Amino acid sequence: MLLSVEDFGIEFHDHDSPERVVEGVSFTLDKGEILGIVGESGSGKSMTALAIAGLLPRKKLKKEGRILFEGEDVLTMERHKLRGLQGDEICMIFQEPMTALNPTMKIGLQVEEALRIHHTEMNDAQRKERAIKWLKNVELDDPERVYESYPHQLSGGMRQRVMIAAAMVGNPQLLIADEATTALDVTVQAQIIKLLQKINKESQVAILFISHDLSLIRQISHNVLVMQNGHLVEKGAVDDIFEHPQQEYTRKLISAIPRVEL
Amino acid sequence: MKKWLKKHKNFNFIAGAIITGVLLLTVLIGIFATPYDTTQMNVADKFAKPSFAHWMGCDNYGRDILSRVMEGMGNTFLIAVLTVLIGTVFGVIIGALCGYFGGLLDDILMRINDVLFSFPSILLALVIISLLGTGRLNVTLALGIAFIPSFARIVRSEVKKQCSLDYVKSAALMGAGHMRIIFVHILPNIMPVLLSSVMIGFNNAVLAEAGLSYLGIGVQPPAASLGRMLSEAQSFLFTAPWYAIFPGLVIVLTVLGFALLAEGTTEEE
Ligand SMILES: Nc1ncnc2c1ncn2[C@@H]1O[C@H](COP(=O)(O)OP(=O)(O)OP(=O)(O)O)[C@@H](O)[C@H]1O
Ligand SMILES: [Mg+2]
Repeated sequence: MLLSVEDFGIEFHDHDSPERVVEGVSFTLDKGEILGIVGESGSGKSMTALAIAGLLPRKKLKKEGRILFEGEDVLTMERHKLRGLQGDEICMIFQEPMTALNPTMKIGLQVEEALRIHHTEMNDAQRKERAIKWLKNVELDDPERVYESYPHQLSGGMRQRVMIAAAMVGNPQLLIADEATTALDVTVQAQIIKLLQKINKESQVAILFISHDLSLIRQISHNVLVMQNGHLVEKGAVDDIFEHPQQEYTRKLISAIPRVEL
Repeated sequence: MKKWLKKHKNFNFIAGAIITGVLLLTVLIGIFATPYDTTQMNVADKFAKPSFAHWMGCDNYGRDILSRVMEGMGNTFLIAVLTVLIGTVFGVIIGALCGYFGGLLDDILMRINDVLFSFPSILLALVIISLLGTGRLNVTLALGIAFIPSFARIVRSEVKKQCSLDYVKSAALMGAGHMRIIFVHILPNIMPVLLSSVMIGFNNAVLAEAGLSYLGIGVQPPAASLGRMLSEAQSFLFTAPWYAIFPGLVIVLTVLGFALLAEGTTEEE
């Protein structure tokens, strides 16, 4: 077992009255598993993801429960230890490929960032070799050219591939994709999903795939969590959830999937 | 470089570059040689009109005004550059830390900043000079310190803006430390804004230095300074108008050249 979230909760204290945004969420994630999280907007998916990545703000926020990554609690872990995990064991890609890359840094440098931080024993040539390898792995044409480019020279789909390369370059155990395909058009979306599946098979990275698009979740996930208002409504294997939903809310979500005849 | 030139191919930029270039060249030449000794008095040339021998005429001691303008420009430029340097370096550090970390540090430093900011920088500089004493070094320090708040403010708000973008989050997620995030990731992204405020700051520094020297607390005689020349020329405005016109013209050109440059660079953003 790679990740175990136990009775996790978040309460914001930045307004007059405390605000509960996540409560009593428990689930586990195995090595190499793809876990989908669905739920309407504001259901706490991103908050849960950020917490796992250790990116929640330290102040004005009460956290409950435990998030054990390989047996250690990321919620209470010392900062330097957490930073050792981030980028090396846990990586994340975001929704907006437009803003998720640094506009003034060459792609190559950004892909190498995790190596530069965590693998100081590597030299420039080795880093470049690894970066190019991953740019190729994410199926970018002409990786050498992409390596020398700036983000504005790439399309949205290409940038998302670059993000995946940058996340995967250090061979992490866990990749969190928060709405990673939402900003892309349908064909590019399908390509990215395929790519994530391929990477999952090849490098046995566990993927936490967050989306409010159920058809994507169904396509990619092994197991699924359904969230609503900060609570876990239902969890289970993808076929069980989609074939035999137990909860009213899940049934409603599934019936709302637009059926496209192909 | 070629690309860069092409990018800024607009009238403002070119005009600004030419004016500033010529002035800078003059300053550079002035460092090594001036047509006449800048402090050499010569009774025979007292109030000599502009002529072929003295392009800008001579002052009340018969000193060559062109030579003194060259030296004065050098002093003014040097003080302005150092002022902006002090203001930028400390402004960037303070502003970046406040913008990035926020919290109590930010509250305290920014309240201090607000208080300082509410005084015109020249007034602030005057206060500091009254503590430090006059002279070139002190004026530079005073102006530099007086310039910190405005830079800190700009940098802080820009850094805050950048912090909300995902690339900062992903850098943090890569395990990058705070200092790496601030100086390697964020800072290059606020360069355009910083650059134009540096240029505007340079202009303000030129004017502030001229103002202080005009009041007699900047560069001390017999060393030349544009502001000081103006204040001396004031008493001879009708006998020797050129004494005031040329130093004044150089100040105006300096400020104009830089303003055009700043305008030209931001236009392209
Ligand atoms: N600083 C804050 N103070 C109080 N509440 C907050 C704060 N930040 C976020 N929230 C709340 O947390 C809840 C969960 O947000 P979260 O971003 O996790 O939702 P989500 O499931 O990712 O939604 P989406 O699909 O829109 O991305 C939201 O209702 C939001 O209003
Ligand atoms: Mg979200």
